[in-house]
Amino acid sequence: MTDLTAAGSRTLPQRTHPISPIARALTALPGIAVGAIALGASIGSKIGAVVPLAIAAVVGLLVLIAATGYLSWTRLTYWFDDDGDLRIDSGVVTRQERRLQLSRLQTVDIVRPFVVRLFGLSEVRIEVAGDGESRAILQYLTEADADALRTDLLTRAAAHHADTTAPREAIDSIGEEHLIATVPNGRLAISLLLRGATVGLVLLTVLVIAVTVLQAGPAALIVVLITGGFPLLSLVGEYVKYHDFTIAESRDGLRLRHGLTQTQSQTVPPGRVQAIELMSPLLWHRRNWVRVNLNIAGVGVTTDSNGQSVVESVLVPVAPRDEALRIVARVLPGVDLDAIELTGVPETARWRAPFQWRRLAAGNDDHVFITRRGWLTHRLAVIPHARTQSVRVQQGPWEKRLGLASMHVDSTRGPVTIAAYLRPAAQAREMAEQQAVRAEIARRSDG
Amino acid sequence: MADVDDAFRPPGEPWVAVSEQLITARRISLALTWIVVVAGVVALYLFATVPRTIAIAATIVAVIAFVWLWILIGRRVRSWGYAEREDDVLVTSGLLFRRLVVVPYGRMQLVDLKAGPLDRALGITTLQLHTAAATTDASIPGLTPDIAAGLRDRLAALGEQRSAGL
Repeated sequence: MTDLTAAGSRTLPQRTHPISPIARALTALPGIAVGAIALGASIGSKIGAVVPLAIAAVVGLLVLIAATGYLSWTRLTYWFDDDGDLRIDSGVVTRQERRLQLSRLQTVDIVRPFVVRLFGLSEVRIEVAGDGESRAILQYLTEADADALRTDLLTRAAAHHADTTAPREAIDSIGEEHLIATVPNGRLAISLLLRGATVGLVLLTVLVIAVTVLQAGPAALIVVLITGGFPLLSLVGEYVKYHDFTIAESRDGLRLRHGLTQTQSQTVPPGRVQAIELMSPLLWHRRNWVRVNLNIAGVGVTTDSNGQSVVESVLVPVAPRDEALRIVARVLPGVDLDAIELTGVPETARWRAPFQWRRLAAGNDDHVFITRRGWLTHRLAVIPHARTQSVRVQQGPWEKRLGLASMHVDSTRGPVTIAAYLRPAAQAREMAEQQAVRAEIARRSDG
Repeated sequence: MADVDDAFRPPGEPWVAVSEQLITARRISLALTWIVVVAGVVALYLFATVPRTIAIAATIVAVIAFVWLWILIGRRVRSWGYAEREDDVLVTSGLLFRRLVVVPYGRMQLVDLKAGPLDRALGITTLQLHTAAATTDASIPGLTPDIAAGLRDRLAALGEQRSAGL
């Protein structure tokens, strides 16, 4: 921990960019505008000054936000301390002193929201392992400063556990990266339209429109525009989020970049990947497309002030299976998923899962345990033995009658569940026992 | 049937049962909930509009359910057990919904003890094991405080010693 390299030395306290308070106030503009228009319309119409009042309200609020933002800007400093950890002091009324242990660094993301991008600024999001307040956001730095800070953080973190990161193919220097895959926007759009949920929602929307028009005449279409628009809105949201998706390999891991209005850049260090899932909804099967979901330690469940997930748990939103497997191989080196022999479940399982039972299977090799499930949406979940948190065998009354039981491998929080359903009870228990042993062996050789 | 049960409580492991006091604790809670049920049934007799047959049927159901749950509590508590092994700890539980959890020492992040007022009066404690996975959910209820504290210290020490980060 006290291994102080050249990169691990103390630095002077620094501030974020001086334009930050203004940029921050402007990001709140849409919300303020809506509120001000409502205010102007309600009060202003009484005194006959809708527009001036609305403008006054907007300007007033912006000035207020910028002023408080300026105050907090003057009180926020960050630096690296003697141990090489990042320190952030902030707060006007309540002072907060935070220390982010770089030995536990998970990801450093650079985000460029639309308004902020106009100023040439970036937001830096730093995430460390641990519960609760494990995330720090610095608003805002110039793009060059943000990149430099990220490189600095990653270098210092790498110095902390140079010995534990898996040996990786030689990649010359930090910051250098090469593209390994992109998701064409056309494919992304089609894949979203072909999701079962989407098809259902569109049908529902059509139904709602038809019923409303029949009931209340064409005038009701206005209502439909609002209610029926929601399904499509979520679709558009996802499209905007994953627009121009690129995956590049860098020294620190896979770097994912995506976003139309807000460019997100996220690094997935291979050592932090806890579990992986290849997911393929019904209408993707023919095209052989899959989405790759991830469980990453400590991230993927955090939300920002807007309630949006800050760090996505998607490695690739949609890719042909071969390409997806090549990308997976970068985070799980030495694993050939298609070479792993899967064993299915006995036919008695059909009484518990009449459609799914043929798809249920599980298997393992020296590195990973995998399970297959899902009737319409196919799911292949993969967990490295060394990432096994605990193992469970479970059985309900109906399964008991059939002499079956389910075996689960617990992973950290995230979208991926590893469950080998409906195995013969004795076999499920045997699998659990073996998995516990494999996990122990893998952990020893890992550490 | 035998091998199915063996799957959840494999013989040959050093199984430890939980305290019988847990049966008392759970039966007391059952009796307390039944006060509400009894009140409801009595109300059926008091309202003249309710046919007597329905009131009698409700009484019979309430009595049978009470006796059945009373007996079930005993069997359920006896189904709990844990075994400390060389590399991991096993926790087994349940009758209708059976489960067996294997938690490797190297994965334990936190070991909690907790006891409500009734538990404290009866001298029992619940021990909860936490890993980085939210789904682990391995708890052992009905431990006497000294056994619980001893187990916690042992598990915490082993967890510390074998801890492998993530």
